[in-house]
Amino acid sequence: MSNQGVTVHHGEEINNSTGVSNKKLLMWAFLGSDVMFFGTFIGTFMAYRNKSLNGPYPEDTLDIPITSVSTFVLLMSSLGVVLAVHYLKESKMGLAKFWLILVIIMGMIFMGFQVYEFTHFAHIGMTPQANLFGSTFFTLTSLHGAHVSLGILWLIFLLYNEYKGNLTSENAIDLELAGLYWHFVDIVWIIIFALLYLITAGDGVPPGGLPWTAGH
Amino acid sequence: MSILKDLFHYDGNGWWRIPKTEEAKANPKLEHPFGKFLGMSKDFLIFITSGKGHASPAYYWAIAIILGLITIVEVWWFDVEGLRYLLVPAMLFFSLVKFILVVAFFMHLRFDNKLYSNIFVTCMIIGVFIFSLFLVLSAFHGLGN
Repeated sequence: MSNQGVTVHHGEEINNSTGVSNKKLLMWAFLGSDVMFFGTFIGTFMAYRNKSLNGPYPEDTLDIPITSVSTFVLLMSSLGVVLAVHYLKESKMGLAKFWLILVIIMGMIFMGFQVYEFTHFAHIGMTPQANLFGSTFFTLTSLHGAHVSLGILWLIFLLYNEYKGNLTSENAIDLELAGLYWHFVDIVWIIIFALLYLITAGDGVPPGGLPWTAGH
Repeated sequence: MSILKDLFHYDGNGWWRIPKTEEAKANPKLEHPFGKFLGMSKDFLIFITSGKGHASPAYYWAIAIILGLITIVEVWWFDVEGLRYLLVPAMLFFSLVKFILVVAFFMHLRFDNKLYSNIFVTCMIIGVFIFSLFLVLSAFHGLGN
């Protein structure tokens, strides 16, 4: 504990004993814990896959074309964040603001798709109480949606600071940290899209399950 | 081994060595049925993984286009009846590639301090262990039946 000094370089505090930014280290530790958090929920979903004995089943509900569009929007928002950080570091404030606003809009579009999807599911009778598929699906996707919503609020806060002149190239690390969080949300969705949607979408009535028709 | 060496600059001592000289660059072979295409693709992959042009907008666009193309292939694969039997391994492979691209290049783990990679990978291993444990429990104890 003899070396507790901190060096500041372009707003990034480098801890002299670890040689890395304390803020960034904390963010990676948090993201690591979040990986384990999502790991449990994804594991639970897969363990209960094809175990619902009453409908609606995945093949009756999941709409791959719509989710593909929202997935694409979220993927492109990751590009937006990385470009916003890049331009902020180069002090190109106009471009940084442009990409930051675009990312916020893309995040909102993604959430809009999720709201539409949830509403549609509720109308055809798929709710968290309907069956095991509904419970595990809504728990996981809602948690992810909560992460996206938090990310949008964080980015709006940073955009406000940028307009006030408080976010500059000198403290670009603040946007970089939000960017790391946003990318993480993106990679979690990459896994969710593959496991919950593409792999599960074909699942119909399991052995011993009751047939299901819309409206019943 | 050659692919590993070219893409990750693996020289037996570490995965993260980036060539600093022109001589260290790969020399793609063109003697194959696809002519120059494979060589150019390999050059492009080496350009991406070695970090040449890193932190430039064109570089980030290139990564984003690859991510978009993989997503299109995923959805196409899902729609083709004849490929359904390979759906699970294919989706796991594609999502793994997308995952690595975002973490390594958008989140800069490929170029950042190794400490960040160590923390994240350790947590990933624990996360995958928890995931696998659930699946094993499910298979042997009839979880959910």
